[in-house]
Amino acid sequence: MSEDFKDNKTIQAQSSETISGGGSGKAPDMDHVRPAEVPEQDLYHGHSFISKWVFCQDAKVIGVQYFILATFTGIIGLILSWLMRLQLGFPELASFMTAEHYYQFVTMHGMIMVVYFLTALFLGGFGNFLIPLMVGARDMVFPYLNMVSFWMFFIAVGVLLASFFVPGGPTGSGWTLYPPQSILEGTPGSGMGILLMCISLILFVAGFTMGGLNYLITVLQARTRGMTLMRMPLTVWGIFTATVLAMLAFPALLVGSIMMILDNILGTSFFMPTILQAGEVLEYGGGSPILFQHLFWFFGHPEVYIVALPAFGIISDLISVHSRKNIFGYRMMVWAIVVIGALSFFVWAHHMYVSGMNPWFGFFFATTTLIIAVPTAMKVYNWVLTLWRGNIRLNVVMLWCLGFIVTFVNGGITGIFLGNVIVDVPLSDTYFVIAHFHMVMGIAPLMVIMGAVYHWFPLVSGRLLSEKLGKWHFWLTFLGAYSIYFPMHYLGFIGVPRRYFEMYDSPYMTSAVGMNEFISTAAFIVGAAQFILIYNIIKSLKTGKPAGKNPWQANSLEWLTPSVPPEHGNWGDRLPIVHRWPYDYNVPGAKEDFITQTTPPSEVANTEVEKT
Amino acid sequence: MSETKKQEQTTTHKIGIYLWIWGLLFVLSFCSYMVDWLQYQGLLRWSLILIFMFLKAGLIMAFFMHLFWERYALVNVLLWPMTAIACFIFLMVAEFEYTVFTRLFYFVVGG
Amino acid sequence: MSDPKIEGYVFKPGFKGMAEDTGSDQTIFKGVHWGKAMMWIFLLSDTFIFSCFLISYMKGRGSTLVDWPNPSEVFALHVGGVDVPLLLIAIMTFVLITSSGTMALAVKYGYEKNRKMCGWLILATALGGLTFVGMQAFEWTKLIHEGVRPWENPFGAKQFGSFFFMITGFHGTHVSIGVIFLSIYAYKTFKGHYDEEKRGWFTTIKGNYVEIEILGLYWHFVDLVWVFIFAFFYLW
Repeated sequence: MSEDFKDNKTIQAQSSETISGGGSGKAPDMDHVRPAEVPEQDLYHGHSFISKWVFCQDAKVIGVQYFILATFTGIIGLILSWLMRLQLGFPELASFMTAEHYYQFVTMHGMIMVVYFLTALFLGGFGNFLIPLMVGARDMVFPYLNMVSFWMFFIAVGVLLASFFVPGGPTGSGWTLYPPQSILEGTPGSGMGILLMCISLILFVAGFTMGGLNYLITVLQARTRGMTLMRMPLTVWGIFTATVLAMLAFPALLVGSIMMILDNILGTSFFMPTILQAGEVLEYGGGSPILFQHLFWFFGHPEVYIVALPAFGIISDLISVHSRKNIFGYRMMVWAIVVIGALSFFVWAHHMYVSGMNPWFGFFFATTTLIIAVPTAMKVYNWVLTLWRGNIRLNVVMLWCLGFIVTFVNGGITGIFLGNVIVDVPLSDTYFVIAHFHMVMGIAPLMVIMGAVYHWFPLVSGRLLSEKLGKWHFWLTFLGAYSIYFPMHYLGFIGVPRRYFEMYDSPYMTSAVGMNEFISTAAFIVGAAQFILIYNIIKSLKTGKPAGKNPWQANSLEWLTPSVPPEHGNWGDRLPIVHRWPYDYNVPGAKEDFITQTTPPSEVANTEVEKT
Repeated sequence: MSETKKQEQTTTHKIGIYLWIWGLLFVLSFCSYMVDWLQYQGLLRWSLILIFMFLKAGLIMAFFMHLFWERYALVNVLLWPMTAIACFIFLMVAEFEYTVFTRLFYFVVGG
Repeated sequence: MSDPKIEGYVFKPGFKGMAEDTGSDQTIFKGVHWGKAMMWIFLLSDTFIFSCFLISYMKGRGSTLVDWPNPSEVFALHVGGVDVPLLLIAIMTFVLITSSGTMALAVKYGYEKNRKMCGWLILATALGGLTFVGMQAFEWTKLIHEGVRPWENPFGAKQFGSFFFMITGFHGTHVSIGVIFLSIYAYKTFKGHYDEEKRGWFTTIKGNYVEIEILGLYWHFVDLVWVFIFAFFYLW
């Protein structure tokens, strides 16, 4: 086994060393960086196919595995959304679908997209690939645990999809799984369906706890020499804060799921009051449905920030690189991410204004909700100010960034509407809410994902994606997504309820028929447009233009590895040494319009670079 | 090689301190038990239960789990998230009081 | 263990030190092994899990219109013709605190490379844990005999049984997992795996006495949770 491990070389503190090959003679004092605190980690190198590609401990491989599985699950969620839109827009074509089926599609679409697609993609996919590279580590700190975490996710997805095939089908209670209905007859999947859903969530939480420990400890304890927290790219800050949220919010989901399972199979009454089911008094009594809602949303609200914060972080980096300008107000951006993360634990019951909870809570949660809007808005101003007078490269990545800003502002503003109790009361459970959360959690983060894929694909594969196909992909998605969700704001205002199987016969509903047809048509086109990206990826892997090293001329460490794609261990013989933040673009006096993080100060002594 | 080994060696504490804390924990547990034996009720009971509980928890965390000697970064990272729990507790107290109120109002008084 | 030696770094005390540590490169927790940091963050997460359980219990007990059973009576043991309230629980608390003490001593002797003392103390801890679980199982059996079920009980509100079995069940599971790991670590200690830095079977990471401290943190956490359960469930 010993030949599987690299020699545990103690790195001597040659402070003038950069990965470009070490200075000659005496090192200038300005280039001094503190010596390494701990010896280098030794990594396990697999030799068989199984240990190199299946049970691989390399975070980059694990990241790609998460990406593929999350995308596969996301495509299932996409197909479910097509089925839903088919029923809503063209019910005469959807005669095979009963109301029960429709609710099951609604539920599974929601749970898959929020948890199994977006969370898994941002934390497991981007987190695993980018964090070690961006902080200058060779791998995550616990590679074995990391590998196990992916396979836990795999099993969780398996259990979730298995619920499609059990008697009664998957649960149809809405992704929020509210009791008492979710475990009573009349709700589809109230037997096995909800049981498998809860088990799947428990497995998911277990797996993401393992992954989360990796991401946190790697960022906190395994950064390379010179990499302070305030020199980390905002991508890492976003994913890191999201992971902190995950570690603290998933427990509430775990507890809620466990208690739901016990209510379901053991007949306990945690959430179940004295209740009738089809005329028959059940054995339950004394339980509290609102307890589940509090537990669920104590998880649920941080969850949406778990999706949003990595998006915020990534978009900051994409905007900065492609406008050749430092992110405006980096420190405030970091603090905004941290403050949003912290505040996200104090706003949960804004999802419960009409639930019948203690009426005084509305005051508290509306206040905290409006407070959390402030750092969020500040980030938007800073993104715009980064673009202002930047040397903008209007490539596909930048298009996705601009699309993100537009859709996020739209979704964020409607969030302010809904954050106020009195405005939320008539809009709650209408299409306005659907429009809000799809804009702010579906479309905006999706734009980030797309931009990130076009941006980092050259690093993962060594090739560039096709710009032409990318532009088609962008415009169809951006304009199409607006076509889908903008009309929904209007539908919500006139009172069209959400989670309704059909637009029943009433004047205001029938007035919406044409709009529903339009929305559904747009949805089919936008969904299909996503396959342009898949085709682009597959084609470019074989025949895409070779990217070479650092095609975007970025500063952050992931682009500075000795080989592209980076090999196992990332950095070859020597770990990088960091001297600055990753946002030194267009610095007056510098030779090029970017200064990488590993460039020592002596090389840029005659420029106006700030001390970071 | 021996130098790195020396660097790695962590300083340990004398056995006495562990025995003292151990003893204190027994005393506090005994006091908690006496609260029940003596059948104190109401505010006195609850405040004593909470005081002894937090003292015991504090001793275990500070001395057995070594937090007393750890640097502030670790201690603060671990303790500040408890504010979210505290918020949850306060709100759930208000919530159960409201639930009892609605149950009494609608099921007992008649609505 | 206090202020480790790191080349090129000046340690400042208190909050100034925290600011320095947070602003420095490489690590924020100076001198803290990755595994130890991991265990602390995991325990933070586990604290949230048990907090959610206990908060749910508080909410459930607080909103019941049916009287909650009196814990002193329900958990009393009939010894020598006298009803002794909470006797079993008192013994369980004693056992768990003792095992916490032996664990702390095991960590100390581990760092002093005293293999024999360390190994025996780990075994003593495991024995304490096993005794605790045994007594918990006895208590469960006794209550089940008296008609307490997760879905109902003869003493009062339905939720009493549900919360009791769920919370003590989760705690007992944590204790049992701890006992298993303690046994494995006792074996590894006696065999000298930590002295020769033998690589782990699953993780292939080199062994080190810090692992005993890491397991010790977990064990103290388990004791900590019991302190809260004892106060909130049995005493309140």
